[in-house]
Amino acid sequence: MRNKTALWFALALALQLLILIGVSAQQFIARTTGRSVVLKVQPVDPYSILSGYYVTLGYEISSNGGFPRNAGEPNTDPNPGGIVYAIVERQDDGLWHPVELASSLPTSLPENRMVIRGRYVGGRIEYGIEQFYIPESKRDVINKDLREHLGDARVELKVDADGNAALVKLLIEDRVYGN
Amino acid sequence: MAEEAAQRLNAIYELDQLGNESSRRLAAVIFTIGGLLVGGGVISLVAANWELLPTFIKVVLLFAALLGCHLAGYWLRYHRNSPRLGHALIFCGCLIFGANIGLLAQIFNISGTWHNAYAVWAIGSLAMAWAVRSWLIGALALALSFIWFAGFADDHHERLATVYPFLLAIFFLPLGVFTRSRALYALTFAGLISAMTYLAGNASNSGRLSLVAMAAGGFFSWTAGEYHRVTQNRPELGNAVAVLGGLAIAACAYIGSFHGLWSRDELSVSGLWLVPSTAAVLASAILGGRMWRQMNGEQRIIFTGLAMACLMVVLGMVLSSQRPAVLPIFGNLAALIIAAIGIGKGILDERRSAFWLGTLFLALLVLSRFLEYETSLLLKSLAFIVCGTITIVAGIAYEKFLRRKEVAA
Repeated sequence: MRNKTALWFALALALQLLILIGVSAQQFIARTTGRSVVLKVQPVDPYSILSGYYVTLGYEISSNGGFPRNAGEPNTDPNPGGIVYAIVERQDDGLWHPVELASSLPTSLPENRMVIRGRYVGGRIEYGIEQFYIPESKRDVINKDLREHLGDARVELKVDADGNAALVKLLIEDRVYGN
Repeated sequence: MAEEAAQRLNAIYELDQLGNESSRRLAAVIFTIGGLLVGGGVISLVAANWELLPTFIKVVLLFAALLGCHLAGYWLRYHRNSPRLGHALIFCGCLIFGANIGLLAQIFNISGTWHNAYAVWAIGSLAMAWAVRSWLIGALALALSFIWFAGFADDHHERLATVYPFLLAIFFLPLGVFTRSRALYALTFAGLISAMTYLAGNASNSGRLSLVAMAAGGFFSWTAGEYHRVTQNRPELGNAVAVLGGLAIAACAYIGSFHGLWSRDELSVSGLWLVPSTAAVLASAILGGRMWRQMNGEQRIIFTGLAMACLMVVLGMVLSSQRPAVLPIFGNLAALIIAAIGIGKGILDERRSAFWLGTLFLALLVLSRFLEYETSLLLKSLAFIVCGTITIVAGIAYEKFLRRKEVAA
């Protein structure tokens, strides 16, 4: 009886550990194997009970309107919950800008282009990089910095070969937030 | 009292154990409150500052906290003579597990729908509740799963969310039975009724569907409770869920009895909410059929009466799509049946609580009709005549009962 309880306890504990590993696995892989992409951002500031403070970030690639016209079929007919792939291109300003929205993962891309996997949610496209968590002690500093230098805010992402993106840093002018 | 008689009474009722039992319960409550406080502290820590440590150290620390709490709890519960402290530590471990999900989201800047975090927290906690047979961790998992359900259903997933009542019935009801926890068992039925009501409300713009789902869930809860009591299969679980089911049906009938609530209501039906409600009615019918032979006459009358009350709510809803005034009529009749059941049961079984609940419900119903502006005088007169007749009949029955009792004495 006690052995059986020990087995069930070990399985339940293993499940909890697996869930925790699963929660962060994709982000960990993207961070360790991905290429860097820098995008321009637009912030807002909600509060989450579970996860403390964070800023919600929007990007050029967050809406169909951010892509050039006639740049792909999903532009005209977004499927709610459907997967889309944003193709971004590195340009002279050092930032990566949207060039095309594809409905499937492109097989090959030139060196100056990258693909980011997203999903249509409520009329927008989300990439899992919309929330940047900020320490309680720096909340006011970052909020003020974002408000005063809205046009200069960028994020650094790591994007793996499948288009999964991990949000690594928030950059405002020459100041870097995050690790 | 003679010494020998005192010893016998003590042996029968284990009077000397009463103090120990309450001390043990107090210890369990203290440990659990301690676990809650520590868990709450860890969750607050998650929402505070985490930039001082490098990522790797942070991840190691949170995994170590989870493992340490769970393993220490297991060791104390099963290998040392401290089951309550061990249980509190495992409970605390489940709270830390949830905090860790949030902390990992912070460390890796993970975005996503908020309710998904509650889903995985609920899954991990439910597994632990089953492993250590804990009703408290089960209740935590139940609360978390309901938060997930509400967020998920509200996030345009009404169809998929229909599966939630079935998940409750499969994973939480048996846990309540195994742990012999009245609280978890009744909470699960409360979750079932609420989820079914929520789904029906979400599936249409009509509150009438919610009433039907609530009546179906309430009838299932009442039948399950009665099944435990009649068959004497875990009878300790029966009372709470039977009362809960009765209250849910009474609430349906009472809400349905208001004329003004439904007159401007439009009905549009989306069918999936019916699946859990129909399953609840079928389950009630199966349980009712299985216990029918073991029921006495009074129990059968009550079962039939409550079934009729539920049927009236359903009929009222169906017919009121053409004539809105039908639902209040059927609602009032259903409420009268429930009040009559309460009063009758109170008289026949000499149970004051049932008698007074029935009487108060009847009084509330009459008062509501009296104050209701929209109700026509004809309906008011009908309601008062029916109520008065029931009260007189109940009084006569009670008189007869008292005479029989005097003769028998």
